[in-house]
Order: sequence, then C-alpha cells, then structure tokens
Amino acid sequence: MMRTIEVFLVIIIITAAFIISSFFAVLPQPRQVSPLNLRRLALTTLQTLDVDYDLSGTAFKSPGDLAWGNLQIALSACLPPNIVYNLSVYEVISGSSGELYRFTNLSISNAESLGVSSDASSYLVASSNVTFNVVPEKIGEHGGGGTLYILNCSDANGWWITGYTGQNLAGDLYKLLSPYFKTTIMVQNTAQLREIMDGNKISSLPQENVTNAVVINTFGECVPIPQEYCQGHERESEGYQPDVNYPYTRYCYTLGQKTRIHNWTWVSIVGYPLYYVSNTAVFVNQQNGWGIYGMQMTSQGGINAFLQGLDNKTPFQYDESGITGSPGVVYLSPEATYYCNYYGIYPSPYQTSTRALSTSILSNYNLNVALYIFNQVGNYIPGAVYRHVAQGATKATGILLALGLTRTPDIRLTALGLLSYYKPRLYRSEYTASGTSRLVILQLGQVGGV
Amino acid sequence: MTGSTIDHLVSLMVFLGAILLFIGLFNQTIQTAILYQRHRSIATKCSDLLDNILLNPGVPPDWGKSNCTPTGFGLQDPEFTQYRLSPFSLMRLLSSAGNRVYYSRTGKWYSNVSWGIGGGYLLLQESECIDYLTASKLLGTNGTYGFQLTISPTVTVNIRETKLNPLTLEVQVLGPGLPLSNATLNYLMFWASAPKEGALSRGNATTDSLGLAYLTFPKIRVDNNQTAYTFIVKANVGGLYGIGYASREIITRAGNIIPFIESYENGTVLLAHKWGKNDPGSNVAALHFNATFYVLPDNFSPIKVDVLNHTEEVNYGQGKPFYAVQIPTSNVGFLIVTYWTGNEYGMVVMPWGIGAIGISVVFGDNPSGKEWVATDMRQVILGDISYQAKLALWSLQGYQVVS
Repeated sequence: MMRTIEVFLVIIIITAAFIISSFFAVLPQPRQVSPLNLRRLALTTLQTLDVDYDLSGTAFKSPGDLAWGNLQIALSACLPPNIVYNLSVYEVISGSSGELYRFTNLSISNAESLGVSSDASSYLVASSNVTFNVVPEKIGEHGGGGTLYILNCSDANGWWITGYTGQNLAGDLYKLLSPYFKTTIMVQNTAQLREIMDGNKISSLPQENVTNAVVINTFGECVPIPQEYCQGHERESEGYQPDVNYPYTRYCYTLGQKTRIHNWTWVSIVGYPLYYVSNTAVFVNQQNGWGIYGMQMTSQGGINAFLQGLDNKTPFQYDESGITGSPGVVYLSPEATYYCNYYGIYPSPYQTSTRALSTSILSNYNLNVALYIFNQVGNYIPGAVYRHVAQGATKATGILLALGLTRTPDIRLTALGLLSYYKPRLYRSEYTASGTSRLVILQLGQVGGV
Repeated sequence: MTGSTIDHLVSLMVFLGAILLFIGLFNQTIQTAILYQRHRSIATKCSDLLDNILLNPGVPPDWGKSNCTPTGFGLQDPEFTQYRLSPFSLMRLLSSAGNRVYYSRTGKWYSNVSWGIGGGYLLLQESECIDYLTASKLLGTNGTYGFQLTISPTVTVNIRETKLNPLTLEVQVLGPGLPLSNATLNYLMFWASAPKEGALSRGNATTDSLGLAYLTFPKIRVDNNQTAYTFIVKANVGGLYGIGYASREIITRAGNIIPFIESYENGTVLLAHKWGKNDPGSNVAALHFNATFYVLPDNFSPIKVDVLNHTEEVNYGQGKPFYAVQIPTSNVGFLIVTYWTGNEYGMVVMPWGIGAIGISVVFGDNPSGKEWVATDMRQVILGDISYQAKLALWSLQGYQVVS
C-alpha cells in the first residue's frame, strides 16, 4: 500500500514537473513561425515609390497637397490587403552634436494601430530644390605626391583612340580628374615630358611634385618621345637601339626606369601599352602603316621594355614577344562597380578586351595587382593597377595602370581606375544641411490571424 | 508477504504506465517545437533566397542578354543596384505559367510566357531558356527545397472595347483589390487599316474615382475587323507605375500570325502562319503582314525600328509557313505585327523584355499539394514599372514538412 502511495506521489511530482516545464515551453505564435519580412517589404515599397522621385517630391509638400492623397492611394495599392501601414516624415537637422530628426506632422496611415507586431524601414529623400555640393579630398593632401600630369603634347599623335585626339582626351581628363588632385598639369609638348622625366618641375606652382606623380598617357597605344631620345640626338643610347626590328623599344625601357625612379603611376588608357612612339617633328615622314604620320612602331616589345625598366632589370634585353590576350567581353570588378556609385562615374559595366596583359608579368616583373578594374579572365587581366615592389623591398616603386581594351577609349574607365585606387573621400557638404533632407519611415503591420 | 508483492506489482505497473504517459506528453511538446523550428527555418530560407535571387545579377552579369547558361543565378539588373530586375534575365526563365508550345514547322518547343493574352505573345525557344532544375542547382536548393517565383505587375491595367465605331476603350486601373483613382494615363495607339495606312497617336487621361477612363478614337473603326490596333497605356499614381496593353488579334479567314523567338541572342523572330494553336489548312489564302519594332525608353516615347522593308506574306500553298525577322536586342521594346487578308486586319504584339508591356512571369515548381509552403514578397522595379516578386518555398526533406 505504501508503495502505491509512493508511486502516486511520484506521479504528482512528474505531473507538476510537466506543468511547470509546459509553462516555460511557450511555442511561438503561427505568425512568428512564418513571418512576412515586413522590414524588407517596407524598404522595397519606399524604393518603388521613389523610382521617379515622386516620394521625394511628396515628402516636401504640405499635408493638404494632392500628392499626399496620391501617395496614400499608391501605398494602399501596392501593399497586400492584410498589411496596415503608417508613413511618417521627419526633418533631418544636422548640428555639431550630430543629426537630429524632428517630426514634421506629415503622416499617413490606414489603421489606428499596427497590430501586435510591426516592423519599419527608413528611407532618406532629398529635396529637388537643393543643389548638393560635393567637395572631394585631394589626392596628395595627406602624404606625398598629388600631382597629375596629363600628356597633352602638341608634337605627338595618338593611335587606338579613333575619333579622338590625345589633346581632346587630355582636356576631358583634366575636367574629370583635376578636382581630385592637388595639382594638375598639362604636359604641353615632348620637351616638357623630357623635363619631368629628368625630375624637373615644369610649372611655377609650389605644389608641383614630380615624385609620386600620376602620368596619364592620352595617346592610346602610342607614347610621346622627346627628340633627345631619338636617333642622332644626344640621348640616343637611352631611346634607340640599332640592329633590332623595333629600335625605339629602348625608349620604353627608359620610361619604365623613370617610372620606378620617380615612383610614378603610369597610366595607359586603352589598348596595347607603348606600341608606338610619336614625335611629329622627328618622324615627319614615318607613319604607322595606317596613315598616321609622326610615329615609329615599338610593337609588343614596348611593354616588355617598360616592365624591364620598371623592375630595374639590367642590362636591357630586347624582347618583342607578345604578353597579351584577347578575352573578349569583360566585366567591371565588384570593387570598381562599388566606386562607380561612390564617384558617380558610370561607364558600361562590360567592355571588350583585346589586349589584356598576361598574369605572367606579375611574377616576371615583381608586380602585384593592387586593384582589378575588370575581373580577371583565365590568365589575362583586362584592366588593373599594378604595383611594383622590388624583391626584398616593402614599398612600391612605380605603378602601372593598364586598360587592355579595344578602341575607342572611354576615359571614364581611366578615371574610375585611378579614383578606385587612390580612394579620395567625398565630402557631401550640403547633404545633411537643415531643410534639404527628410527621413521617410514606413511602418508595416499585419492584421488578421494570430 | 503476498500483499506486499501485489502492492509492489501494482505500484510498478502504475509507475511504468505513468512514465510512458509522460514520455508521450513530453514527446508531443518537443515534436511540436521541432516542427515549429523547421517551419521557421523554411520561412527564413524563403526570405534569404528571395533576396539572393533579387539582389544579384548572376554570373555572368549579362546572362540575360545572351544565350549562355549562367554559372550563378540572379535576376538583378546588372546596371543598377537594389531591387531593380533585369527585363532580359526574366525573359529567359522557362515559364511554368502556361503549357509549352510545340511548333511543328521547326520541330521545337517554346516556353509559353504569354499565349495571346490581350493579343500579346511571348514564346521563347525552350533550349535557350533557363529551366527550374538549372536554377535550383545554381541556388543550391536542388533536392532540399522546391520553389516557385512569381513576378507580376503591382498595378493591373484592364482594357476593354466598349464601342467599335468609333473605337472607344475602357481603361481600368487596379491595385491589389482596389481601383486606382486619379491615376495619370499616358497612352500609345498604333493602328492600321490598309497595307500602307496606319498611324501612331498618343495622348493622356486621368482615371475617375472608380479607376476608369474612357478613351475615344474618332478615326478608328474596328467593326467588321476593318482596322487593327495595339494600345499601350502607362498608368501612374503617387510614384506607382503600371503598364497595360491590348492588341486586336483576330483569326482571319487566312489564320493569324504568331511570333516565335527563334534565337534569343540574335533577335531572330519567326512570324508564323497559325490558326490559334494549330496551323491553317492547306487551302487558305495568303496572309500579308508588316512588322515594326519599337524601342521603349522610360520616357515612354517609342523609337521606331523598321524590321521589314516592305510587306511580306506567308502562304502554305507556296510553302512559306513562317518568315524570319531580326529585331534589335539591346533595348526593351515591343514588336508589332499587322496582318491582313482582304479587308480583315489583325495585330499582335510581342514584348522584348519583361516589363515592356506588363507581362507576368511564373517560374519554378507547382506548390499545390505541398505540406507546408512559406511565402515572402518584395516590391521590385522593371524599367520604371512596379512589380511584386513573390517566392513560395517548401522543403523536400524532413518530418511533417513534406507531403
């Protein structure tokens, strides 16, 4: 009898344990088990309503405006019938202590309450009456360099820049990039090019700094050559090598050396880098085979020579073997795509590459890719920024930006590549100024069900 | 001694019975909790998968503009960010909305996104489509989850003829369950009543409190099928954009014309002589036709691209069951085909790019009969037209989550 009583006592204890544990084991409500992602729905609704900036316009209108009625119709129309909403607009006030949000009394809703659970998303809109002022950080402001040289040589011709001339590309690049550099200087002729190759300033600007400068060759596959480096002139040995197919490849070697010595960023905007050299005064009767006078071909040896000079390989070894491929359609890298939005530069995200450099140059010339402008395709890099770091060194000595695309050039890609590499910050000075921005908050709730 | 033993046995049996009962009770609670957890996991997966599909363009990003098989699946427009979808990638999804169409003259099957809905056709050769299995594999859900993706316009625009002479159209603009009053309408009317007579007119209107607008076209008479037209209207209210169309497709005495997209990458379209879903008999007359492609930018100002230099004909008796035309593929637009025999005129429209005229896409498996289906939705944009993307997801593995 005692045992039976004991058993009943045990049963009572277990029952109590079950009741107590059941009390704590609360199962979620069905709605919580399979929730509609209200936060995402709210965000995408706001984005949809602002596709043509209608929401931005409405957020700055007075409560009695017809636009608010239309917005209410649109909201009711685009949300499922079981979703209730509340849309509120806040004024963004920026001050020394940060940003404050003040309710504007602009609010619409289709229900008194949003049910037991709700979620919200916010969306910042800007007034169409405001002109935003963006001040870029200057490259070279913090640290060395900061000088941009754009080759605008009047005594040189370009190639693979069909439809343009080096000079008008230089003008466009000046407009595009000069706000981002401490100093931008147009290299007006090959004599000035020789000066900067020698490390001399070519302007009276105190900020000009040849060391760590960026040099953009706007002449496409052709590079201007100062006459001193041509056959029969005083620096012939640094620009001309007799008894080879393309004697002027030697000049490209010198350019590579100068890039290393001055720690330049050498920029090739399109095509095969350094395929020709050009000086219209010296090569008056020489043309490139396609009717463009003032040129001498260096062929595929040009880039080999440049890279040898960049990597300080001595003595110079003449090498005209090809190091490019033609991967076809190529795509902007994720990093470049990101900076398209940051800097507001929107070239086509896919381009045709017919002169992409081989990955073999990385190990052969101590280069590493600091930035992929285009995604690598197999063993070819259609566009990238290469940093040269000599063996045993820790710092870069010379940088090459090469875009191995087919013609015609899109200088926005050059600008995008440089900005993505140097990453100057943009200060949007007016963006949070009082009265120019409003924060729209859409709160959604579900009705019905449990 | 006996009493003690009996007491022992009774107590033991009661104890064992009680233990079994409580194990059962606890088990039930745990089972329910696990089931809830599984359901919750499917719902979370549904939301994640939907974002995964909508927020990446796939690999390569322009797979929607070529006929390659992507190595990564995504529907985002590669030239934009956020929830903007590529009108071309969506075109390549093998439709599960309508029955596939077999065209005996080419011996090929075609994905049926739209078969004559409002006179609109979108039939893409199946071998150039991305099928559900491929998408499942690329999304990593093959064998574990089943899904159905529906991309449909947020705003429905219904168009109905209320008078034939002169033509009067009733345009009704609806949201999900409610009419859109005070919506601004911009419309394009393409019409033809003779081989070389036709015109494009455009205008605007506003819907009334019932979401209705009535448009009269004094020059157009459609009684006795003497005029054919394609009407495209874009509605906007409060930033919400919708588009609708109606094309006056008739089956003439010589049949009608149906466009089949033969080569997606090259833009080759077969204008096939048909009679509904069947081919016309051998004794029907020749059917004459003309075709024009219009690029449709966001500003709703169509740009005309002639794809035929002169009128053509299809004729079974002379062995011309279809005629191949080539359209430009890089921009969103629509192809209008006007066909006639005698004084009977008909017109069909074929969009190039989902969103051009507001066609829906249904892709994936059928969720009906599945044990537990999670759904989620997002508002998305195609061009500037508002769409809703809905994903239904169910598990193919696990206890009480599969049927």
